Amino acid sequence: MRRLIVLLSSFTLAGAAWAGGNADKGKEKAAQVCAACHGAEGNKPSAPDQPILAGQYPDYLVKALSDYKSGKRSNPIMKAFAGQLSKQEMEDVAAWFSSQQSNLHFQR
Amino acid sequence: MRNRKGLILAAGLLVSAAIPALAQQPALTGDPKEAHKKIAICEGCHGIAGYKTAYPHVYRVPKLGGQQEAYLASALHAYKAGQRNHPSMLGNAQSLSDQDIADIAAYYSQSHAK
Repeated sequence: MRRLIVLLSSFTLAGAAWAGGNADKGKEKAAQVCAACHGAEGNKPSAPDQPILAGQYPDYLVKALSDYKSGKRSNPIMKAFAGQLSKQEMEDVAAWFSSQQSNLHFQR
Repeated sequence: MRNRKGLILAAGLLVSAAIPALAQQPALTGDPKEAHKKIAICEGCHGIAGYKTAYPHVYRVPKLGGQQEAYLASALHAYKAGQRNHPSMLGNAQSLSDQDIADIAAYYSQSHAK
């Protein structure tokens, strides 16, 4: 039981450490890679089936980018863009977009 | 004769309308009011602020309120078809009809932050 608690808390810590993106660097990278479709702040998608990124949880954005890059989440366009990003750059763009304003909200 | 021509034309139009619809998502109109009966399944995770997925990949489940309607619908269809891989979302999406998906997408996309 104690081992389980230690294990679980280490995941929580890993989760906290994950939020290590640099939003300023992310802004720069996003302007080159993401902005054309999602908007510079991630709140103006160029097509209806593209998601709003502004205000989204950063750890979810990193997960989505990682899955696009690995092919676990299959989307040829996003594979090409996410494939250009290192893990650190994913965390940076996630930090940038998650700190931007949009109507995106947690809904009860 | 004229009727038959009309019928063929109508059939042709239906087929040509169905082909892009099959290739993309069925263009159903969602009714957010109908979604109220269907979102209980979503709220268990997406209705809890900061709710996290379980091991091995721990991250907060995405915010859905205010998201683009067509994106939400395409995500649910992708889960339902097994193209997007998440065990709980596969099960949940498979329990939804195309109309359910349209209603849920309309509900979340039209929601405003309180």
